[in-house]
Amino acid sequence: MARRGSPARLVIAVSIAAVLAVFLLYTSIAGGGTPSLSPSELAGRTGDVSLAGLVVGPVKGDAHAGGLRFKLRDIEGAKKTTVAVRYTGSVPDLFRVGRHVVVDGQLLAGVFVATPGTMVTKCPSKYSALQPPK
Amino acid sequence: MAELGRAALLVTLGLAAYALLVGAYAASTHRRRLAESARNALVASFFSTLVAAVVLAAAFVRDDFSLRYVTERSSKALPTPYKLSAFWGGQEGSLLLWLLVLTGYAALAVWLNRRRAADLVLWVTPVLGGITVAFAWLVTGVASPFATHAAPPDGLGLTPSLQNPYMATHPPALYLGYVGLAVPWAFAMGALLAGRTDERWIVATRRWTLVAWASLGIGQLLGAHWAYLEVGWGGYFAWDPVENAALMPWLAATAFLHSVMIQEKRGMLKVWNVVLVSLAFCLSIFGTFLTRSGIVNSIHSFTQSSIGPWFLAFIIVAVAVSVALIAWRLPLLRSRTKLESLVSREAAFMYNNLLLVALCLTVLWGVAWPILSEAVRGEAVVVGRPYYDFFLRVFGLPLLLLMGIGPLVAWRRASLRGLLRTFLGPSVFALMVGAVLLALGAGSSIPGLIAYTFSAFVIGAIAIEFWRGTTARRALSSESWPAAFASLIGRNRRRYGGYVVHFAIVLLAIGIAGSSAYDSVVEGRLAKGESLEVSGYTLTYARLVEREASNATEVRAKVLVNRGGADLGTLEAGKNAYSVEQQVSNEIGLRTDYLRAEDLFVIAEQVNDDGSVYFRVFVKPLVNLIWLAGLVFLGGSLIALWPDAREQRRLATRFAEAATPAGSAPPP
Amino acid sequence: MTAALVLAALLTVAAVVAVAFPFLREPEPATDVVGELDAFERRRLALAEERDRALAALQELEADHRARRISDEDYRSLVGPLRREAAQALQELDVERQDYPARS
Repeated sequence: MARRGSPARLVIAVSIAAVLAVFLLYTSIAGGGTPSLSPSELAGRTGDVSLAGLVVGPVKGDAHAGGLRFKLRDIEGAKKTTVAVRYTGSVPDLFRVGRHVVVDGQLLAGVFVATPGTMVTKCPSKYSALQPPK
Repeated sequence: MAELGRAALLVTLGLAAYALLVGAYAASTHRRRLAESARNALVASFFSTLVAAVVLAAAFVRDDFSLRYVTERSSKALPTPYKLSAFWGGQEGSLLLWLLVLTGYAALAVWLNRRRAADLVLWVTPVLGGITVAFAWLVTGVASPFATHAAPPDGLGLTPSLQNPYMATHPPALYLGYVGLAVPWAFAMGALLAGRTDERWIVATRRWTLVAWASLGIGQLLGAHWAYLEVGWGGYFAWDPVENAALMPWLAATAFLHSVMIQEKRGMLKVWNVVLVSLAFCLSIFGTFLTRSGIVNSIHSFTQSSIGPWFLAFIIVAVAVSVALIAWRLPLLRSRTKLESLVSREAAFMYNNLLLVALCLTVLWGVAWPILSEAVRGEAVVVGRPYYDFFLRVFGLPLLLLMGIGPLVAWRRASLRGLLRTFLGPSVFALMVGAVLLALGAGSSIPGLIAYTFSAFVIGAIAIEFWRGTTARRALSSESWPAAFASLIGRNRRRYGGYVVHFAIVLLAIGIAGSSAYDSVVEGRLAKGESLEVSGYTLTYARLVEREASNATEVRAKVLVNRGGADLGTLEAGKNAYSVEQQVSNEIGLRTDYLRAEDLFVIAEQVNDDGSVYFRVFVKPLVNLIWLAGLVFLGGSLIALWPDAREQRRLATRFAEAATPAGSAPPP
Repeated sequence: MTAALVLAALLTVAAVVAVAFPFLREPEPATDVVGELDAFERRRLALAEERDRALAALQELEADHRARRISDEDYRSLVGPLRREAAQALQELDVERQDYPARS
């Protein structure tokens, strides 16, 4: 086992390559993240996306019974497009009309059906409290 | 008094600039008194920053709402400890805290080393001065905590979830870590500038690195514990970019702590060590950039402020300086020693480094990809939890195993036969544990079972190390078992302190595996009197109570807990409504069963108008091992940190033998 | 507020004094040169480091052998090269010292 230099270099190079291979394999199979869209960009998109918007009332329903219904509007920009959202699962404490929220899900028949428990709120002021993602 | 604060920060800026410019000049022209003067400037900058910090703290305590910063996060009703912690509750104040810790560390580092590493301190002073200038500029010119306005009668109050001992202590602990990484980096750059390629800079900064690394670790655990108790979604770490911002430098620093041992023992990896310490430091600046700039879609983000570009510029400068200096001194740093065997402790440390850096870069990619994607492709993406969980397992589990292998392998070259003999005991133990756990049902999660089995292996390995060391000590000195054990640790603080830290990481791994791979969750809506069952517990919703606290209205659902017929008491879960801050917080009900080693975690998600409550209940096995791991981690770090007089003497002798440069002799 | 201004002024004066202190203390110093290690001293430092490393490795080998981390045969195969390395390092340091005595 007392050889010098080359086996070590080779093994290190192979290990680095192996790590890289694992990484590339994973990202090519599982994809490079979920697209993050604003309500105005949502039209026509299929598949799982992450929707980020401003909560617009009225807020109806029950997230634990039948689904919470509200609308989301673009956070920035002048576009007035709103998207109807139906959400089930945990609702963060900071949720209310006027808050920024991010929620994962799919656009189905004109309504954004959220994946349960994926709503996250963002407090627009300086130091926000951490809100649960699930 | 705001003028005093502002003036003090200007003095800091001036002193730091002096330390940087005059220090660099003095170092390149070898002028002793000028170098001392620059060093004094750096030390003095701590005191002027301290004045500013005291002014701000006093403003909070005295309810001085003429300062805009105080108005925005304090109120008359806030308890005094939280008035003090509100100091670092926002951008400007936390930058001031950062500056205070930085100047404190810098002053101490150059003062303690002014004689015994004088030629290093010569160059370290301008480097630390440069970093101080950057942060001093931010608090004077860009985000000053001393902005004034017409004082309103009362402040806006502190976000309720920050009014918690964990959240109060989490930022200072983190900053002791983040900022602490500046010292080893500055010494590394100083050594490169001075052309010193020996291990002096490593030895001088070893304790600093350990303190910074331990603080960063403890700070993250404090944050995780806060998230578990206060945010209350049932978890403690969400791979949020801001959480990752602290994890990345910690991983790089962990790799660094290990690879410096290789340089000390074998004289190898000099280039790699400088690269690692630069990576750790740049990641810590990057981390603070992420947290403050609003560039990442994070639920933690401070504010969309103008401070982002400045941090970006700072990172670019730090990276450029590191790369330039390393490239310049590359020929000097090359060492003759080669890796002799792939089965050796050096090799084990290299694998350890590879995995740690791989994990660190994976996390970095997960954080940076959304930013890059938006900037380059115009399409925003979000990197979710599965990505991080996958790589944590793929890189983390082998790392766990390595923690048991490394200490048992000899330096330079280990014979395979000797290894197999050494590993036999821990391997058998691990397989037995694995089999027992499999029989108990742990096969429901393969990664969890692997984690448990590897943990058993590491525990076996650590136990063997302590056993061997103690018996050898007894053979030498015929002490009793406890005395031998104590003197063993006392004489080999770094090694055995390190083993204690490894044990802490094992506890952490077991706790994480238990609480994430083997937890149970049940949810449902209960009217008064109804029950639900989870993992053997029966919870009955008794009634709703509402009461007034000093700054909030508390609504609680009282829940009776029962297990197998035995009454285990009552839990309360609900919400607090804070009047001043106009916010609602989640208050969980928690019952820790120490015998069964699990937590019963009750969330009252929604209180309905008809008095029924929607509950979400978790049973989290072994989660408290995570917090216990923090304590063990602290203990192990303290053992490893404890000063060793013999080593100091050895280093002093070596330096004295080599030369007596005029600068290192005591002044006449 | 005058109190604030007075304190600020005091702070500035203190800062200036701290910075000027080395010059105030030694207006006419014997030497004002802070030594950097020259090439000879660096080499000697590097050799001393190698010597210390070799000696420490030997010590650790002994300790590991006593604690039975390393078997007898492994010990025998490792101790020879280590002793040679330590001897070589000591010799190189001696040669260096003889050829280039320490400067002061």
